[in-house]
Formats: sequence, C-alpha cells, structure tokens
Amino acid sequence: MIDNIPPGMIMIVGALALPFLTARAQAVGVLALSLISLVFFWFLPESTPESTLGKLEIFGATLEMVRIDRLSRLFGIVFHIAAMVSAIYALHVRDTRQHISGLIYAGAAIGACCAGDLLTLFVYWELTALSSVFLIWASDNENSYRAGMRYLIIQVASGVLLLSGAIMRFVETGSLEFAKFVSEAEPLSVSSFLILFAFGIKCAFPLLHNWLQDSYPQATVTGTVFLSAFTTKLAVYSLIRGFAGYEPLIAVGCAMTLFPIVFAVIENDLRRVLSYSLNNQLGFMVVGIGIGTDLAINGTVAHAFCHIIYKSLLFMSMGAVLYRVGTVKASELGGLHKSMPWTTLFCIIGAGAISGFPLLSGFISKSMIISAAAEEHQFVTWFILLIASAGVMEHSGIKIPFFAFFAHDSGKRVEEAPLNMLVAMAIAAFFCIGLGVAYPLLYKMLPHPEIDYHPYTMAHVVTQLQLLLFAALAFVFLMKSGLYPAEQRATNLDTDWIYRRALPNVFGVVKSVVIAMDRVIREDALVLLRELLGGVDKMFNKNGLLGRTWSTSTMTFWATLLLGICLVLYYL
Amino acid sequence: MTEHHPPADPSWFEKPRNINLIIAVLIVCCIGLVLADSFYTNDHAHFEEWENMYGFQAWLGFIAFVVIVFLGRVLRMIVRRPEDYYDR
Repeated sequence: MIDNIPPGMIMIVGALALPFLTARAQAVGVLALSLISLVFFWFLPESTPESTLGKLEIFGATLEMVRIDRLSRLFGIVFHIAAMVSAIYALHVRDTRQHISGLIYAGAAIGACCAGDLLTLFVYWELTALSSVFLIWASDNENSYRAGMRYLIIQVASGVLLLSGAIMRFVETGSLEFAKFVSEAEPLSVSSFLILFAFGIKCAFPLLHNWLQDSYPQATVTGTVFLSAFTTKLAVYSLIRGFAGYEPLIAVGCAMTLFPIVFAVIENDLRRVLSYSLNNQLGFMVVGIGIGTDLAINGTVAHAFCHIIYKSLLFMSMGAVLYRVGTVKASELGGLHKSMPWTTLFCIIGAGAISGFPLLSGFISKSMIISAAAEEHQFVTWFILLIASAGVMEHSGIKIPFFAFFAHDSGKRVEEAPLNMLVAMAIAAFFCIGLGVAYPLLYKMLPHPEIDYHPYTMAHVVTQLQLLLFAALAFVFLMKSGLYPAEQRATNLDTDWIYRRALPNVFGVVKSVVIAMDRVIREDALVLLRELLGGVDKMFNKNGLLGRTWSTSTMTFWATLLLGICLVLYYL
Repeated sequence: MTEHHPPADPSWFEKPRNINLIIAVLIVCCIGLVLADSFYTNDHAHFEEWENMYGFQAWLGFIAFVVIVFLGRVLRMIVRRPEDYYDR
C-alpha cells in the first residue's frame, strides 16, 4: 500500500479536499498533509529496474513517473521540510486560495524531483507554475496581479521549451528518459539545448533571471516563503540530473554569483534584496553543477539543502516585519530589535548561515563547492566564489539584519511576530545550527557518500572567519566614513525594463508609424477616389457628355448613320 | 532620507559606548585572525602563492566588500529611477 502512492500525490490530491474544511482546519490540514506525505516518502523504497511503481507505456514511450534514488530522495526530503515550515508559518492565514495553491505547489515540486521521464517532469513543471502564481495574486493589488501575469508567462514559456525539447529528443532517440544530456564525445544537441534553456529560465540564469526579483517581493507574506523554496531548487535539481559537468555552466554560475550582489547593495525593498541574494546563491550551485566532480555535486546538493532552509528563514523574518510594520523598505525601517527581539535573533542566525559562519549550515555546504573549484585548479572560479562570499556577507549577512532591526531607530513600535511565525522561524534556525554542527548526518545522505570531506580544518575556519570579519570591518569603515550608499526609495531598473518599458515603447513607436502611414495611404486613396468620382460625375451629370438629354432628331440621325455604316460594311 | 534623532528609549545596542565596544571587539577579532595565520600551515593549499600569503582572505574580504559597495554606487547612477517609475 505504502509503495503505491507517488511522492507528492498526497499533497496534490489532499489540497482538493481543503475547501470543504473550516478556515482554521485548512491551515492545519496543509501541515498535516505535508507531514503524512513526508512519512510515506521516507519509507518509499529506492527504485530498481524491476520496480513497477509509476511505470507506464503510452504511444510506444515508456514513462517512469516515480524514480527514487539518493538525489531525488534528498531533494524530496528538504522540499517536505520546507513545506512543513512554510505551513506552520502560514497557520494564521485564513485564505483558502493560498493554502490550496501552496500545498499543490509543494506537492508538484516533490513529484517533479522524483520524475524519471521528461513528460512527467513537464506536467509537474507546469503544475508548479500554475499553482504558485496564486501565491502572488493573493496579495490582491494591481502590482501583484501584473507581476503574477509576467511570472506566469515566463514560467509557462519555460515549460513549453521543456516540452519541445522532450518531443525532439523522443524523435531523435526514441526515449523520454530523464537522464544526463551531456557527454564528453559530442556537443549539445538542439533538443538538449532547449531543455537547458527551459531549466535556465527557472534557475534564473543571467538575463533570464528577472522574473524572480520581479515576482517574489509581490507575493503575500507567507507566499514568498513557499516560493523561495521550490521553483528555483527544482531547476537546480534538474540541472544536476541533466547537465552535471557541462563546463559552460561554470561561467554562467560565476556571473550569477556576482551581478546580483551589486544590485542587492542599492535595493531598498528587503524582500527584493533577498531575491537577488537567492539568485546569487543559485550561482554557487550552478558553478558546482558545471564543475561536475563528485565533490562538486555533493557540495551543490548540500548547498541546495541548507540554502532552502536558511533562505526560508530569512524570507520568514522579513515576512514577519512586513506583517507587523506593513513595509520592508529599508529606508522606512530600523530599530526593530526592540519590538521584535525573537525575529531579530532568528534573522541573525539565518544571516550567519547564508554568510557561512562556522557552526552554521552555509559553512559546511558552500565550502565544498569552493573546495571543488580549487581541486580542479580553477583559479578564476575559486577567486570569484571568494569575492561572491564577501558579497553574500554584504547583502544578506549585514544589510538585511542591520537595516531592518538596528541602524537608526525608525520610531516604529510594533508587536512581536505571531507565535506560529516564531515557531516556524525557530525550527528553521534549529536546522541552520543543527546542519552546521551535525553535518555528517547530511553528508552521509549525499549522492556520493564515499567522498571524504572535512569542513572544520584549522585553515578553513580561520580563512573563512578572516573573509567574513574583514568584510564586516569594511562595512564599519564605510558606515563611519559615510561612504556607504544611503537607503533611498527608488526603483532600480533590471532586465524586466526590457519587457516592461523598452518593448512596449518600441511597440508604441512601430504602432504610431504604422498609423501615420496608414493615414497617408488612406488620404491619398480618398483623393484619387474623389477625382475619379468627380470625373464620372462630370461625364454623367445632366450637362455631361454622356448624361445630358439628347433631342429625338439627333438620336435619329446617329441611328441612321449607324445603320448606313452597317449596310456599307455588309456589301464590302 | 528622513532626519533622525537619537531614540528616547535607547537599547543596549543603541548606546554610543556599546557601539564602540562592538567595533573594538570586531577589530580585536580581526587582528587575532590575521595573527592566527602564523600558527598553522595549510597542507591542502591548491594555489600556494595565494593561499599561503599572509592574511590573504582578510584583505580579499575587505577589498571585495569595498569594491562591491562602490560598484553599487556606480550602478545606482545608471539604473536609479523614481519609485513609481513603472506605475506611470
């Protein structure tokens, strides 16, 4: 019995029953279903070639809807943890839409990371897009509606690319199996490239990234916590599965670690700062995927695992601020540690974890990726990742907690976050510390458990602390000297400007040119028509050559002449 | 930016004396960490000329942080628009 339920299905099907519960029971239902799903998932046996669960033959293609191996197991577990933490965080919410969409979204992501074929992956892929957009729309304002639309279009486009790639691949190879697309011997085929592009959109590759910073800050307080966990990490999982060791990804990942940190420095909306930070963290993972060695893949998976938890924690702390204060604009905040001490503490733990302080989760995961770069003697990559680590310290380690909870006192005095939010943050903070200390528990679940890696060497701890504390020193120096850019209310342009401003403007210009040309052509045609009609009128009016009244004698004369000519012609 | 005054009810973190104390502790830690470089050898260095440099990650962290913030200032000059830019 237990073996027959596909992962995530309990949550997806269970979500459909939620509307029949009372508002309070719905929130508890999300948590309960996630927990039940986790128990079932935990006991699901690893897939073998003989296992029949989810195997299906249609139109000559073999579908493998459920594939459990070490990689999908670990992602499935962390997705369940994220779903449960988010559910606790949302216990106070009385909005059926959000509960249903959050639960389906989490279930779809879990299903997707256990999909063994591309068609199943596509179905879950689109389901994550369709279900999650309601978390953005649930903010119920014009901006969130528009941002949600843009989000939906881009996510669905990613799915369409995935489907196109899958179909082409099926035609080429006769198989829909979701396996590695890259090989040493041959360059990437067109179908693989389409699939990479689809993954790249969801993974927020540079220039394809801006849907993330555009939509996540528009979602509801609790919706953003759900969103931050699943979509992008599903893409990371898919890239590990399909493109591990594809070298161009190293360059892509390096770019991803760098450019968002500069945007994060000047961004005022702290949830948008976290979105840029999320983008930067994905960069570390993409670098790991590009390196593709066993250590790098272990590092990427470990980093995704830790990242989901500390990133939710940070989004939860900013969500709590938004919930209580009504804004997360850095320019409006400050001094909140007096009214929200617990939220402050949890935020600092999350900030420490993402920055990679020893004894916290980021330290034991990010360092594996950096070490993997060093072991492959990739000096530039290694150097960039170190710089990016200092950047993480800037935007997530210092900026988020400092400007929200300390800095200058904004005079805002609010209540501490609701109990359920605090409990959710406490659980996430517990994981951040737990993973940092009891790291072997995570390490032995990684895809390559035989790799022996020790994060807590003297050299590593000292150098990491040097990097972080000197970065903090730089912050003190810049603040004291007044060189740190002040938080300002502003909109900072990013690539979304292309489709929100440039393209509509270009379209506007094209439209006005077409309208002008159309008008000229129509006017000329009218002039011509008028001249023609004038000519006709001239000929046919009552004084015109053809229109005037003729006398009977003239007509008789012409008729006689005509008959005479006929007679002459007849005799010729 | 709004003008701000010292809060009427300063917490521990808002008293100038304590802020200076925090900064002093940070500086002491930083000095200690650089000195710590003398007391261990990194046998696993992959880029020896860099990793065995005295306080390599210390100055890298400091410089990288400052450069990033200054790049941010430059970027702000290019991409900054009024807050309601997209609403017009």
